Amino acid sequence: MIDSFFVHTLNGLWYGFILFMIASGLTIIFGVLGILNLAHGELYALGAFVVFSVVGYATGLVASPEDPVSAVVFGVVVLAAALVAAAVLLPVGAFIEAVFVRPIYEREEVYQLLLTYALLLIFVDVMKFGWGTSPLDAGTYGGLNQIPTTELAGFGYPSYNIVAMLVGLAVFAWLVWFFDRSKTGRIIRATAINRDMATAIGVSTDRTFTLVFAMGAFFAGFGGAMVSIGPQTAFLEMGLDPLILSFVVIVVGGLGSLKGAFVGALLVGVISRWAIWLYPAVELAAPFAVMLAILLVKPEGLFGTWGEIE
Amino acid sequence: MSRLSPLEERDGETVVRVPLTNGLTLTKGQTALTLVGILVLFGLPFLAGIVGLSWGRLFRGLLFGMAAVGLNLLLRHTELVSFGHAAFFGGGAYAVAVLAAHLDVSEGLLLLLAAVIVGTLLAAFIGYFVAGYVDIYFALLTLAFNAVIFATVFRSGFFNYNDGLAVRVGGDNPTLFGLGWTDLGYDLVLYYTTIVLMLVMLLLMWRLVHSPFGRALDAIGQDRTRARFIGIPVERYVWISFTISGLYGAFAGGVYALQRLHVQPEPTLYVFVSGEILFMAILGGFTTLVGPLIGGVLLVYLLEATRFSFYYYHAPIGIILLAIVFFMPKGIMGSLPDILAGLSRRASDPGLLGDDLQTIGSSIRRSLSRATTTVRILVFGVR
Repeated sequence: MIDSFFVHTLNGLWYGFILFMIASGLTIIFGVLGILNLAHGELYALGAFVVFSVVGYATGLVASPEDPVSAVVFGVVVLAAALVAAAVLLPVGAFIEAVFVRPIYEREEVYQLLLTYALLLIFVDVMKFGWGTSPLDAGTYGGLNQIPTTELAGFGYPSYNIVAMLVGLAVFAWLVWFFDRSKTGRIIRATAINRDMATAIGVSTDRTFTLVFAMGAFFAGFGGAMVSIGPQTAFLEMGLDPLILSFVVIVVGGLGSLKGAFVGALLVGVISRWAIWLYPAVELAAPFAVMLAILLVKPEGLFGTWGEIE
Repeated sequence: MSRLSPLEERDGETVVRVPLTNGLTLTKGQTALTLVGILVLFGLPFLAGIVGLSWGRLFRGLLFGMAAVGLNLLLRHTELVSFGHAAFFGGGAYAVAVLAAHLDVSEGLLLLLAAVIVGTLLAAFIGYFVAGYVDIYFALLTLAFNAVIFATVFRSGFFNYNDGLAVRVGGDNPTLFGLGWTDLGYDLVLYYTTIVLMLVMLLLMWRLVHSPFGRALDAIGQDRTRARFIGIPVERYVWISFTISGLYGAFAGGVYALQRLHVQPEPTLYVFVSGEILFMAILGGFTTLVGPLIGGVLLVYLLEATRFSFYYYHAPIGIILLAIVFFMPKGIMGSLPDILAGLSRRASDPGLLGDDLQTIGSSIRRSLSRATTTVRILVFGVR
């Protein structure tokens, strides 16, 4: 009982970190640009597909993992491949923002939803064109679990999950640092708080918005890449459920709040995994029930700040 | 009743009074279009085959369009974006399926009535909670309710999980008007019953949006605070309109179940179905009454037909929606007058076409030069 509680909680945390990587992009895009990006799940899926191609090439360069040293090298190469795959999403995100999203900031939000939905549909076919319709397995899960870190911890748990969680934590730490301490991050926050004022003191809002959208796409793609190098496969419809769950996450945490997205993601991840364990029938409904409760009781979310990243 | 002529002069224009509407009128052109539309609806089972379209698909399109007409009451007047209307569509469909599969109710009209009641109650229940919210919160709340209902149905043995329920009692089609029918007869009777009910519902919606209640909804959409100041009970009116719009969705869902004779969660209840219903309204033109109906027929037809004939069936719809966003924001029906006027102007003065080309060319040049500047700055920084 205690053991399975532990394992399910860890699984929930893993899932939560993945959700956080997707939802962080969604929440900063919403916080700064004011756009709810329905195509965000497809960016996540695109990351998962790109990493499949990149990993196949990268792992061919190193020996297959047998002893600890080669296993660590293998793990590092796979992680680097995930980063490269996510980096592919940077220009993609910038292109989408500059060409499609920029002309509609001033329009009603119905059109913004319609536009991002149209992009979602187009992305599905782009991925179908690139990788076909059958699910793809990057095949690195076994190799990653050769890294013997978990034997040191004293209980059996896939080290891939541990690595993914650490990566998620690093992403959160970097984002907090970026928006709190770095100059670009502060400029972005200033733009989010007051666009006109930011323009008046010489910030190019266009470029800021492009950067933010590209960043959001990057983290969505990184989340997809981290999932795809694990036990899961990359498939065409994989973007839909995480997209809907990220809505839950950013609503629970507070729209536009980074810390909120972090707490919300872990909460949703753990709750859904506990539900699978204790009462599978409510697994799908549980996150939405949490979201409903939060929206009805505290609509601004746990860390709610409108249009401001904290 | 005195023999009044249906024609009348008003503001220097000849208008046609529509019966049963307390003095609502159409212009001559609109009357002609309406009559043609009604004729096409009644002839559809026979006309569709001639031009090579699938009648069943058009029927389903009309049903989703009907749900979109309901949603449009919120979208057009109270300016609320609902992302959960599949809850009522699916609610109606499942009411039919559950009654037929578990309680052996075999009369189609009874099932339809139950669908409308269940879906409307559902809408009243959800509407009670969401009426006080606006903007993105309203959208996300309705989405959450929708998702909870979908997840419950999807994971519940009572609703037979993903496989759904068949709307058949002992292997037979439901009866309509107490009579058993052949397959073709069943479809035809169901279709014509639906069309008649649909026309009545459209007429009622038309009356509703031109009633004082409809005007009050407009006021709520423009400014809630002001609406409250002039004495409109905002939350209650939004609740009522939400319930009415759910009723339309529930009706459509009930007929959908009777037409398909099998109800599954994904095509009726999934959150993306809600999105599709919303986009039908915009595609057809949410500033008009019948636009959502047209949008529904078009989008459902595209979604279903392209799936079988093209390998890449998502992108064409995506491109159409993009075109709607950028070039026809008022949707098909909403932009029709503008397009016709523009075309007739160009027909009388061909010189305008040259101007058009020039405008297009210069705008492309301008955006290209802007793009190169942006890329230069991104790559090399500001000099």
